[in-house]
Amino acid sequence: MPYHLFKCSECIPERGKHAVIKGPGETLADALPLGYLNTIPGSISERGCAYCGAKHVIGTPMKDVIHMSHGPVGCTYDTWQTKRYLSDNDNFQLKYTYATDMKEKHIIFGAEKMLKQNIIEAFEAFPAIKRMTIYQTCASALIGDDINAVANKVMKEMPDVDIFVCNSPGFGGPSQSGGHHKINIAWINQKVGTVEPETTSEYMINYVGEYNIQGDQEVMQDYFKRMGIQVLSTFTGNGSYDDLRAMHRAHLNVLECARSAEYICNELRVRYGIPRLDIDGFGFEPLSSSLKKVAMFFGIEERAQAIIDEETARWKPELEWYKARLAGKKVCLWPGGSKLWHWANCIHEEMGVDVVSVYTKFGHQGDMEKGISRCEEGALAIDDPNELEGMEAMEMLEPDIIFTGKRPGEVAKKVRVPYLNAHAYHNGPWKGFEGWVRFARDVYNGIYSPIHKLSLLDISKDEIPVDRGFETQRMLSDVHLSEEIKNSTELREYTGGYDLLKGLKERVYPEFPPKANVALPAV
Amino acid sequence: MKETSKERVEQLVDVIMKKCLWQFHSRTWDREKQNENIILKTTQILCDEPVVKETPEEKCYWVDAVWLANAYKEKFPWVTEIDKEDLKQIMRELKERLDFLLITGSLNAELTDPLY
Repeated sequence: MPYHLFKCSECIPERGKHAVIKGPGETLADALPLGYLNTIPGSISERGCAYCGAKHVIGTPMKDVIHMSHGPVGCTYDTWQTKRYLSDNDNFQLKYTYATDMKEKHIIFGAEKMLKQNIIEAFEAFPAIKRMTIYQTCASALIGDDINAVANKVMKEMPDVDIFVCNSPGFGGPSQSGGHHKINIAWINQKVGTVEPETTSEYMINYVGEYNIQGDQEVMQDYFKRMGIQVLSTFTGNGSYDDLRAMHRAHLNVLECARSAEYICNELRVRYGIPRLDIDGFGFEPLSSSLKKVAMFFGIEERAQAIIDEETARWKPELEWYKARLAGKKVCLWPGGSKLWHWANCIHEEMGVDVVSVYTKFGHQGDMEKGISRCEEGALAIDDPNELEGMEAMEMLEPDIIFTGKRPGEVAKKVRVPYLNAHAYHNGPWKGFEGWVRFARDVYNGIYSPIHKLSLLDISKDEIPVDRGFETQRMLSDVHLSEEIKNSTELREYTGGYDLLKGLKERVYPEFPPKANVALPAV
Repeated sequence: MKETSKERVEQLVDVIMKKCLWQFHSRTWDREKQNENIILKTTQILCDEPVVKETPEEKCYWVDAVWLANAYKEKFPWVTEIDKEDLKQIMRELKERLDFLLITGSLNAELTDPLY
């Protein structure tokens, strides 16, 4: 597994240890990219800061909360109505964004008074909301404002409110991952154990590292509810502040994104004895295995199996329709952190695509271990790439599509490589059985959009064919397919609706009598 | 052609690396516990021996072990055909190989971090 130095980075030789090509017969012990290190000066990174990782990734998906940044208003850029972590309370946390709007005078004279005023004003403006999170920024950290003291003062004056303080300034780590860590630890230290939950089931889990991107959490919660399992809290997508204070009462932590949330699972295990089960919510086979494992922990495997059978029968023919048309297409899997390992193997096996490269913007070496293990030989693995390396990789690998964020994604589009938004999705949710088919449909639409061919024609000089119509997606995707597949009556395109969450909201869940014989895991 | 013991171990390693997540916990002490407990329980299941699963922690190891044992039986017919003592030997070698790839031979610099 040789290390790979990009030509464009020959002037930054330290980058040579940040990329490897997975060679035949080589193992993780032969080469592993460096990771979770400060970006090398001269390398224009695509990372976020530690404040962003704490607030915009983990804190703000909590739904019933005023999320306040204590800093310049610019720190809240890219939050107001731009994120896609939905909630079932009319997206309160997406509709409003709050900052104390620090200016130069506050840097000189301090901003604690102004912070207190802001907190009170915000609670008065939204009297139905009694919970708040406050996020330190670089500016308020450098002047030493004591946010905890101000929050405690307000809580004394307003006994019906509760405030969580996250001290994770932008400079508090090499990337957003530093902020993930800080908010995990801050939450368990300040809030877990301060509320006793209402229990509705004998089986209770925390669903951790799940951010309800376009409804992922609601899809997974639906499966758990169909099994009679109570999701005591979700950390943090569509999660409620007070539910998350009661995490200490769960029987099992079901962990999805270990990159952003393994810390709180580890602490819950050490402090409260709640075990950690890592799962994959993406892909038919990994999801089926995950549901079975959770059910097995509680001794209710048959409930999981019933869901798997029903969902597989409904959606597998549609996944296969796309797989037949995506086989052999080259994919660069370039997400932020966990999706490189959640997807690397199952998009290859279940959609037929070849993963020619994986990268992570803020992942640690552990994420690379997982990602490299799960992709096939020949794949190029890159840690914290800069834009020029991304361009060079695209020239070298000639991918058919890229799954990445919107910044590198727009760059890819300029060189006519289609991209899907791996963080926020295109037409999600992508978790769950139906969600996985929606992902396959987005991949198909991305690769076979006729626009890529049309855009190669320059109307100022090229001859524009007028004797035939435009090519459709089906004409492009089916050209090399066998007649058997083309005319199959079993395989079909996606037949779900525009909004799959609507159906979930209307579902009536079964009631299960308590299993008297089953010894519940004691907490 | 019959595979060698080493080839069989690599087959078993490949399933874990491609399909499982439990082996990638972030610290050395975690990985040691995960490898020890899950491979032990998988071996017991494959050899029809009793498995202890009284505490939540043991139960959690057990569910990953059940999944792994089923996957091995489904993918590799030799797992159910060979002598149990030979299987135990292969599982011991599997554990050694995992410990090397993920702990003693690992290039992951975070494994030795004293804190989470």
